This record gives sequence, C-alpha cells and structure tokens, in this order.
Amino acid sequence: MAGFLSTYGFLIVSMVMGALLGLSLYLPLMTGQLSLASPGFYALGGYIAAILSTQVFKVSDGLYPIGLVLLEMSIAGVVSGVLGVLVGIPALRLRGIYLAIATIAFVEVLRVLSLNLDITGGAVGIFGIPQPFLTPIEYLWIVIPLLLMSMVLLYRLERIRLGRAFTAIREDELAAGAMGIDPTYYKVLAFTLGAILAGVVGAVSAHFLNTWNARQGTFDASIVYLTSVLIGGTRTFVGPVLGGMVFTALPEVLRAIADTAGLPLWLAQFLRDGRLIIFGLLIVLGTIFFPQGLVTPDLFKRRKDRKSQS
Amino acid sequence: MIDENLTTSNPILEAKSLNRTFGGLVAVNNVSFTVNKNEIFGLIGPNGAGKTTLFNMITGLIEPSSGQMFYQGEEISFLRPHLIAKAGIARTFQNIRLFGDLSALENVTIARHIHTKSGFIRGILGLPPAPSEEIRNKQKALELLDLVGLSDRAFEKARNFPYGDQRRLEIARALALEPQVLLLDEPAAGMNPSEKNQLSEFIRELRSQFNLTVILIEHHVPLVMGLCDRIAVLNFGKLIALGDPAQVRTNPAVIEAYLGSD
Repeated sequence: MAGFLSTYGFLIVSMVMGALLGLSLYLPLMTGQLSLASPGFYALGGYIAAILSTQVFKVSDGLYPIGLVLLEMSIAGVVSGVLGVLVGIPALRLRGIYLAIATIAFVEVLRVLSLNLDITGGAVGIFGIPQPFLTPIEYLWIVIPLLLMSMVLLYRLERIRLGRAFTAIREDELAAGAMGIDPTYYKVLAFTLGAILAGVVGAVSAHFLNTWNARQGTFDASIVYLTSVLIGGTRTFVGPVLGGMVFTALPEVLRAIADTAGLPLWLAQFLRDGRLIIFGLLIVLGTIFFPQGLVTPDLFKRRKDRKSQS
Repeated sequence: MIDENLTTSNPILEAKSLNRTFGGLVAVNNVSFTVNKNEIFGLIGPNGAGKTTLFNMITGLIEPSSGQMFYQGEEISFLRPHLIAKAGIARTFQNIRLFGDLSALENVTIARHIHTKSGFIRGILGLPPAPSEEIRNKQKALELLDLVGLSDRAFEKARNFPYGDQRRLEIARALALEPQVLLLDEPAAGMNPSEKNQLSEFIRELRSQFNLTVILIEHHVPLVMGLCDRIAVLNFGKLIALGDPAQVRTNPAVIEAYLGSD
C-alpha cells in the first residue's frame, strides 16, 4: 500500500484536482454558459499562493504551516471571485461560442501578463514553493475535503431555489426572465462561483507542483477540462467529477500503454504526445453521440421511479 | 358583474401612444388603450397585426420605440422582464416556452422564484426559512397542477406532454407567479372545439378565483366574442377598434380588415 501510494500519490492528488477543475467549469455551464475561463483563475490562484509563500510569509525552516496554505487558498478565492465578477459582467453579455472565445482571450491575457511581469517571475516562473507535506499523497488532506465540500454544495445547489434559477436560465433564458428570474445576476453568480473554485484549487496546486509558471492553466488545460465536463456529463455534478478524474489519469494510462513492448514507434509516439488530438476527437464524438455526457440525472432517477411505481 | 366592472373603470394597465419599429417595419403604430382591473381583455387582428409585439412590450421582452406603458400607475416601459414579472404581470407564449427537459412540477416550482427569498448560504445549508419555503413551494406547485388537471403527471418531462396539456402547464406556471395580470398568447391554438369551450370556462374561473385581469390574444373569433368583456382590434400595427364584443362585431373597419375576410 505504501509503495502504491508513493508511486501513484502524485497522480491521485492530480485526479482529485482535475475533478475540482471540472466542477469549476460545470458551474457556469449550469446556467448554459460555456466558459473556458477556469484555467485563467486557476493560474491566478497559483501565482497568488506562490508569491505569498515565497515572498510574503517566508517560512524558512521545517514544513510550511498548513494554516498559511489555507489562508492563501482563501485569499486566492476572494481575488478570483472579485475578478470573476469584473470579467463576468461584460463577458456574459456574450452568448455561446462568443463567450467561449472571450474567455479563451481572458486566459491568454493572463498568460501573457504572467510571462512579462517581474512579480510572476517572467518565463521562468516561481520555483521553490514551500511544502506543507513530506509526500505528495498527503495533499489529499486538503483536496479531498475540498472536493467533498464542493460536491455537497453542488448536490444541495441542484435542489434549491438558486439551482432551479440556474437550470431555468440554461433551459430557456427568455422564459426564465418572464418567470421573474434575473438572468444576468444568476449567470454572473454561477461564473463567479466557478472562478472562486478554480482560484482555490490553483493555490493548492502551486504548493503541490512546487513550481508555478505561465505553462499552468493554458488553453490546453481548458480543452482537458472541457472534455471532462462534456464527456462526463453536463446535467449533474457527478459527471464533471468522474470526468475530471478519468481525463486527468488518461494521459498517464496512455503513456503506460505506449511503453508496452512491440508497439510500432509511431503509435507509441502518438499515445504519448497526441493527448490533445485524442481529447479533441472525444469532444466531437461525445457531443454527437452523448449530448448530455455519459453521466446523466436519468441514471439516478430510474431507480427512484421503479420504487415509486412498485 | 361585468357591467359593474366596466362602469367603475379601474385601470390596471395603460398604454399611451406605443410605437415599435423593426428597421423600416412599423409593427405597432401609436397604440393607446386601458385595461381595467378584473377585466378579460381580448386582442385580435390578422396575422402580423402586431399583437405579440404588443405583448412583448408589456412584458419587457422588447422596448417600445416610443410611448409609455403604465401598470398600476407606475411606468414600466423600460423595465427588464424579470422586474415586470415581479411587479405582477405573468404571461404564456404563443410558441410554448416550457422548460422541456424538466418535469411539470419543476416547471411550476421554478416560477415560485419571486415568492421565495432564501439565497445562496441559507439555501445550501438548509437554514430557515429555506426548508419550509421549499415545502410550501412544492405544495403550491402541486395545487396549481391540480387546478389545470395535470397533477397525476407532475413528474413527467414537460416536452412529453401533448400540445393542449403544454398550454395548460404554461398557464399553471404563469399562475405560480401569483400575478395581478395574466397575458395569454393564443391559449386555444391547437385545441379542438370541446377543449376550446372548456378553456373559456376555465379562464373565467381563473379570473374569479385569483381576482385576475386577463389579456388574451386569440384567433378563434367565437371564443373571443363569447369570453371577453372588451376587445381591441389591431391591423397593420394600428388600433382600429376598441369596445365590447357587440360594438366590435358591427364596426365596419373591423369587418373589412378582419371579420370580413372570414
């Protein structure tokens, strides 16, 4: 068990973070808004944690206090939330593909900024981010409670007035307005909640990866999380959680397959480096054959229906 | 009772020289009228006369190019749709706009939005008044489904309902807002004659039960003549007649523009 955890600890924690980032993309999608901004807020949260821990708090000896990590996560969440509102209000005037493009632009702007600012360490980034734990697997102490909290929150959200307002806007924004629901308010709220979650995960991730630079949270990452949500499922939070885990692990699985002896060189190469091509294909096939993703609310309902009918 | 309403003349909704143009097309041209409280007010006219455009202006989906709209003495010309709904004006849509993927019950529960207060924190944590609000909402929604005769299918998806039932579900959803004014856009479209007769009865019942003012767009002339207290006739965006059914029926402009074409 100890051997397994030390080998796969990094991957397991990454998978949980993948699930969280899937959820951060799922939140705006609850109101029908396809936003790819999550990686931008993720990168922002990471830089906040990296800068605070290496330049402000500067704990020199021993393990970095977990309390400070939690403080950084809170600060990253608040800053992401504020930026989420500021970006969300103008961006959410756009619809569909135009919103997606605007949010990609937002991610790119943040990336170019982080490449060129001194405080973010330019192209080199920030390294030597202090560790609160001795082994990667121990990061589960932070990310598992975070995932459970987010899942409980979304489970509740899908069953209350607020979640119903989100759903109404997703189903028919115009009719939702005629029912007294303010579409702008709820769209910005959903977008901001997603931004906060992405920022908080970024803050943990900076410690976890030990280094943070402009390669974190790029357009590539947007595609990965988009795949997890679209294939996982867009109608219940369980979809993005499972999708985020599976699609974070998938490149590692592909790499393992590529290492099998006797495989033609080109195929092995493709399995190692063709990750985005494979994800792109999955998005196309998934949206054609499973427009609501693989995990749908009907999967859970069917059992209930049977019970009520018998 | 109808005469009493007319003589006391208690305006709830007032349109003053409303205009709306789409590019070069004048969809609504200088239309003024007053709807009295508790009245069933019909809006008729040939296709493209501007009836739905007028509805959309009343409910804030489109803004008037000029002119004003008053509701209970307050101007609502440029209010956004959700604020007009909140003020007490609910509607149904000509081309049914239910939340198709959701159950009938969910459709009606969503429309209880403005009558509940619990926001993010209290909703998530289930703190008072959120839980009791949720229960009350569900009861209220079930009552309304019962009223329109759909309570036994509360958990079916709205898109699987037959056409007439979808129209009734839309009415239940609009009633969930507890409106003062109910706007029905072609409620009888696609219904058979016996359903149409029931509909007249049903709309009258709604008015007395909920103390409603009803404004309806309808193509089926006998239904409008039999049901409405007063009727406004639009043609090419202009108001060509306004009065009780007998007056409208005999109005030469109406006969030429609309009834004569029958």
